[in-house]
Order: sequence, then structure tokens, then C-alpha cells
Amino acid sequence: MRNRRPFIWLALAALLAGLATAQANTTVTFWTAYSSDGPEVKQLETVIIPAFEKAHPDITVKHVAIPYNDLHQKLVTAVAGGQLPDLVRSDIIWVPELANLGVLAPLDTSMSDFKSLADSVFPGPLATNYWKGHYYGLPLDTNTRIWVYDPATLTKLGMSGPPKTFDELKSMAAAAKAKGVYLYAEGGTGGWNILPWIWSGGGSLTNDTYTKASGYLDGPKSVAAVQMLVDLYKADEMPNIIVNPNGGLGTYDGIFQGKYASTLDGPWMFAIFGGAHPDTKLEGSLIPAGPGGSISVVGGEDIVMTQQSKNKAAAEAFLRFLLSDEAQRAMAQAGQMPVLKSADSWLPSIHDYYATYLKQIATARPRTPTPKWPQIDQVLNTEIAKAFQGSETVQQALTNAAHQIDALLQ
Amino acid sequence: MVVGDRNQRRALMALRLILLTAGVVVMLLPFAYMVSTSFKPNAMVLEIPVKFFPQHPTVANYVTAWTSNRFARYFLNSVVVAIGTTLAALLLSSMMAYAFARFRFPGRSILFGLILIALMVPTMMMLIPQFLLARDLHLLNSLWGLVAFYTGGNLGFNTFLLHSFFQDIPSELEEAMVVDGAGPWTRYWRLILPLARPALATAAIFTFLGAWDEFTWALTIINDPSKYTLPIAIALFQGQHSTSWGLVFAASVIAIAPVLVIFAIFQRQFVAGIAAGAVKA
Repeated sequence: MRNRRPFIWLALAALLAGLATAQANTTVTFWTAYSSDGPEVKQLETVIIPAFEKAHPDITVKHVAIPYNDLHQKLVTAVAGGQLPDLVRSDIIWVPELANLGVLAPLDTSMSDFKSLADSVFPGPLATNYWKGHYYGLPLDTNTRIWVYDPATLTKLGMSGPPKTFDELKSMAAAAKAKGVYLYAEGGTGGWNILPWIWSGGGSLTNDTYTKASGYLDGPKSVAAVQMLVDLYKADEMPNIIVNPNGGLGTYDGIFQGKYASTLDGPWMFAIFGGAHPDTKLEGSLIPAGPGGSISVVGGEDIVMTQQSKNKAAAEAFLRFLLSDEAQRAMAQAGQMPVLKSADSWLPSIHDYYATYLKQIATARPRTPTPKWPQIDQVLNTEIAKAFQGSETVQQALTNAAHQIDALLQ
Repeated sequence: MVVGDRNQRRALMALRLILLTAGVVVMLLPFAYMVSTSFKPNAMVLEIPVKFFPQHPTVANYVTAWTSNRFARYFLNSVVVAIGTTLAALLLSSMMAYAFARFRFPGRSILFGLILIALMVPTMMMLIPQFLLARDLHLLNSLWGLVAFYTGGNLGFNTFLLHSFFQDIPSELEEAMVVDGAGPWTRYWRLILPLARPALATAAIFTFLGAWDEFTWALTIINDPSKYTLPIAIALFQGQHSTSWGLVFAASVIAIAPVLVIFAIFQRQFVAGIAAGAVKA
């Protein structure tokens, strides 16, 4: 009997050790809005997550895709019920709102290596994580809109290249119309759609401290820029999807069918379009310059960690990996633009269209960083559409919008 | 007079046919559009003018929809949830309806009134309270959570529908069974349920459809992709930047198939059931 005791202890110890390793295997839940058939989800699930799990055998990453249009609602419900995941790939425009609700972990205080990570990314996208004194996330990918066109359609119209200025845009749109083609198609009147024109026209949405829209959104330069688009639309030189995004031929289909020559879009367009139509080669150029230059809008996603996360260390490890050169390169191949400063050197070698995006993003501006952005965007959408529909003048519509936005910025 | 009568009748018949034809066209056009789009190659999905017969029909959308993203699994989840909900809701609501139709007990009309009032509360308003309830019952992120809440959501209408049908069943039949010594359970199970088959079929179709199509609740409580149901899987084909309509429609056609089967099985009973419900309702 006495001889057997050590064996029992040994067996117990082994069992405990086994339990301990089993418990060490943590699961990190990661919510995104990648669509099922897009190229990004394949890269994430078949390249990035397996590579991470191989390097961290004790961590499992559970990726949960949620339809983009419902992710915001689902996040808000999950906040109420305390059921948030560890990490979320959040649209940059939702981060201030989520931070304001107090559900995000301030990474600048909770992550020991935050500073070195923050130093490795572009400052513009990093700034979208800043809210009331803290950084609540890190940028994951960035993007902007450039002028995307099918060169074959331009050739058919007898045009040698895309418009470089507002004046060229106007004359080329009229020339294209004469041949039954829309030079430029735009799918809405929200901030994402209209701000590049307002900024390139020398106007702005608010003052520099984001406290006032009156006098800026309805200032003469903003009005002139929107007026240019309204004039194009009224002359039937822009298709009706600008006021009714689902009411006509979408930009992708229109460009493929040669009915639209160009649109403004992000880098994903090349990936999606190239997947569907490998024979049609799109090209990109800078947004036509107006009195204010060629200024586009910054888009993209941040990665945020929730306060509720019980696996913060494991979540941080995956977050760090997503910002690594390896992961950022893998996603760049799927049309998702990296945020690493070091990407400047290798990015154009992955796809040549990235060179134009890098140039455009150097001067691109963010949308107003406020928890109220979704409401502001709604105001822009509704009010500017009225100018296109003709029920209000551009000046009236922008003045009305500015008043409503003033109230939201208070 | 006789000739005039006949002409009038003919005119009325023609009018009726025209209206019905218009109705059929309105009902079927979206369906035809969905089916035709599902056979179009991804690019040519939204064409203007609309083409109902694709120039280069393909089944690629069906293959992609079925093979991508564990679609078969989601299909199975939906089947389990819809059938589970239908069985549970029918059993519970028919028992409740039987009690309301045949038993006299204190508070009966108040309780019945409460059920009707609950029918009138919009589901969106109950989303967060239900979510908190589901969390406390540990029903989040589980198919049983879907079944439980879908069943609860269907009880009111089903009880109402079955109640009015049960009332029409002559009570003499039950009295005869009482004489033979049958208790309430036997009368409910052996007499009322078999006689109420049309109403049960109607309730079954509504319940199945409701559980099969439901999106918001499923999206809210399910966090594990392996437990997604079909409506979420279909919504996932709609991307942030572009939507593959061919895939969305192919997936929708696949999702409609079981509903058509259920409808075909219960259809004869269904029509009778609607009429039966209408008399009292």
C-alpha cells in the first residue's frame, strides 16, 4: 500500500496538469461584417486565423460574421445584455459612439505596448479611435474613395483619360451624355458620397473643432460644389441612383455594362469587380480637383476590445497579430488596405491600384468624429436628396441640414 | 330582362377574371424575378430593362450558395427550429384553446383578453426585454432559445384561431363521451384534435412560416455561426460594399422549397381552416 501512494499522487498531479492545460486554451471571439462570398472572409478564415492559432496553440479564434447593416444594432443590443464579444472590427464611424457607451477598453492604458503599435500605423486612421482623452482601439484597415473607371468605356467615348478637374468633369459629362453614357454615377447623398465634392470644392461640413456646421456646410463653396452635382443630375448627366440608391442600375453593374463610365469607390471595388469580371480591367485616378484640391474621405475599420472581455490577454495577442506585417499583407491581397506605415513600400507591389489610393489618402479627411455621426449622416442624406429632387434649392437644403447638424453637435 | 341578366353576369365574370389575373401577376412577378435572377451569372443580375429569361442561364449561384459558408448546416438548423416551434406551439396553444373554449373558470375572459392584448405589442419593442430574459434563462446562443421564444410568440394567435374553431365543434359529441366515462384529456386528444385538423393545419403553416422566416430575434441572440439560421445566412451574402444578388436569390429559392412542400401537404386543410376561423373571428 505504502509503495503505491506516490503513484496516486503522481496520477493526481498529472490530472491537475491536464486540467490546467485544458483551461489555458482560451477562445477569442471576433465579430466582423465580412460578407460570405467576399474575398476578405476567405483570407481571414483560411490564412490569418490558422497562422495565428499555429503560433499560439493555446488560443482559439472564433470568427463571427454579422451582416453589416445589422451589426450596429446587434452591438447595441449586446451592450444592453452584456453579451459583447472580445474583439470587434468596427466601422470607424461607430467607435466614438461605442466608447461613449463605456463598453470599450481604453487600449492606451490597458495594453503595455500600445505606444509602439500606435507608432507603427498611419496617424489619420489612428485618430478615429480617440475619444475624450483615450484611444479605444487601433486601426485595422483604412481606405478612401478614388475615381474608378473603365478605360474601355472612355476610349469608346473618344476620351483619352479621366477628368482631372471640376471643369473637365462638367464638359466630359456632357460629351458622354451625348453618346448615351453617364460619365459619373454616385449611389447616394450621404457624407461618404458628397463630402469629397464639398471638400474638393473648398467647402467644409463643420468648423475645425467640429462644433458648428452653419456657415460651413451652407457656405458659398460647399453650396457651389453640391450645385455642380445637382446641375449634372438635372441635365440628366448623372443617373438617378444618387437619389434612389436601390432604384436603378448599381454602379458595378452599370460600369460593367458600359452604361456608366466611372464612380468613386474604395479598393474593395477592384477585388470584387475583378472576381466577377476578370476580363474587364478597371483603373483608378485621383478625384477631380476643384478650388480646394482633390480631397477624399477616409473610411475603414478599427479593432476594438470590449471591457467585458474575459480573455483580454489572448484578445490582445490576436489584435497584435492582425496588425502584423504578415496579416496586413494577407488582407491587402483581398482588397483591404493596410494601416501600417511600412506598407507604403510594399503595398503597390501587391496591386498597382493601391498607388493611387496611397496618394489620395495622404490628403483625405475623416468624417466628423462624434457619437452622433449616424444621425448627422442621416440629415445629410435626407436634406441633400431634396436638392437633387428639386423640392428645395441647394442653398435651402444645406442651410436646413446645417441647422439640424448644429443641434446634434451641441 | 333575361338577356340583360346574362350580359350583366358575363360582364361581372369578365371583371372578376381581370381582377384575379391582375392579382396573380402582382403576386407572381416578384417570385418570377427571383427565380430568373437566381439563374443569371453574377454580373448581369440587375439589368434595365428587366430580362426574365437569362441569356446565359447558369446554376453556379446555387452551387456557390449551397457550398459556401456551411449553408447546409444553416438549412438543418432552420428545419430543427421551425419543426420544433410548430410542434410545441401547436400542442400548447391547442390545450389552451380547449380550456378557454370548454371550461368555465374564474378569470377566464380576463386571461383571454390578455392574450389578445399581447398580440398587439410590436415585436421590436420587446427585443431588449426578451434579450435580457433569454440571458437570465441561459437561452442565448442556442437553437432552443429560438424555439422557446418563437413558440411564445405564436401562442397568442394560435390560441385565438383554435379557440374559435373549437367553439364550433358541437358540445353534444363531448357530452356523449362524458357519458362513456371519458375525462377532459381523452376528449381533447381523441375528439377535439382530430376534428380540428383544418384549423391545426392553418396554425401549423403560419407557425412554421413565422419560425422559418424570422430574422431579427435569431440575429440578436445567436452568436455562434454554426447555429445561424437561413435568414441570417442569406443576409450574409449582402456585403458592406456590394451584394451578390444572384447568390441572395438562389439561396432564397432554396429556402422557399420546404415552405412549398409544407404548403402543398396542408393546403386542402388550410383553405378549410381559413374559412372556419373566419366565421367566428
